[in-house]
Amino acid sequence: MEDLIEELTRGNVTEVKVLLASIVLGLAVYQVLLAAVTYGWLRLPFLESGAAGWTHRASGDTILVLTVVVAIMCIGYSGFEDGGAHAVVATILLGVFATKVLVVRLGGRISRVLPLLGVSLLILFGITWLTSAGDFLGVG
Amino acid sequence: MARRPPQGVQMLGSLLAAIAIVAAAIAIVTAHFGPTSSAELDARQERLEQREENIEELQELEEERRERDR
Repeated sequence: MEDLIEELTRGNVTEVKVLLASIVLGLAVYQVLLAAVTYGWLRLPFLESGAAGWTHRASGDTILVLTVVVAIMCIGYSGFEDGGAHAVVATILLGVFATKVLVVRLGGRISRVLPLLGVSLLILFGITWLTSAGDFLGVG
Repeated sequence: MARRPPQGVQMLGSLLAAIAIVAAAIAIVTAHFGPTSSAELDARQERLEQREENIEELQELEEERRERDR
């Protein structure tokens, strides 16, 4: 697995992970903004709830794929042992993310927890980024 | 109140905003990394090798000059 990741990233494993994680964080912030428009908490003169919801789902699918890729790279290349706080927060993040996807699929009354799950995800993405990519870029 | 643009335009616009965020993230992060493209690294390596060759050449010429002086 390590060799495959090395080969795919041409030896720039950390750089690729940092880049993908930063893209995910940027999109996650945008997701919260789109969700606020979708729920009608934020009213913009140029964006309706329906269009915001559509982009929220499209962007969310992208975030899911990128997060899984980064997680596979992290676990496959670095493992859990030396991860420290980053590994713990990232594991919680994956759990919350899986729960959110499940809640979206189930729908109904349980959907009321989606805003809470969304905000939790943004916070977890922020902490996970700060404890890895942020450290690497000298921000964390 | 001003009329909102059509639904399709709103979708396209919000999607373009997402793409702009991705592009900005790529630009900011790669700017932190500096020049790491293989082409630039190759060029840097070539310049280093050329510089080493020039130094060696100068040393050889210096040695030749000294021998001639003796």
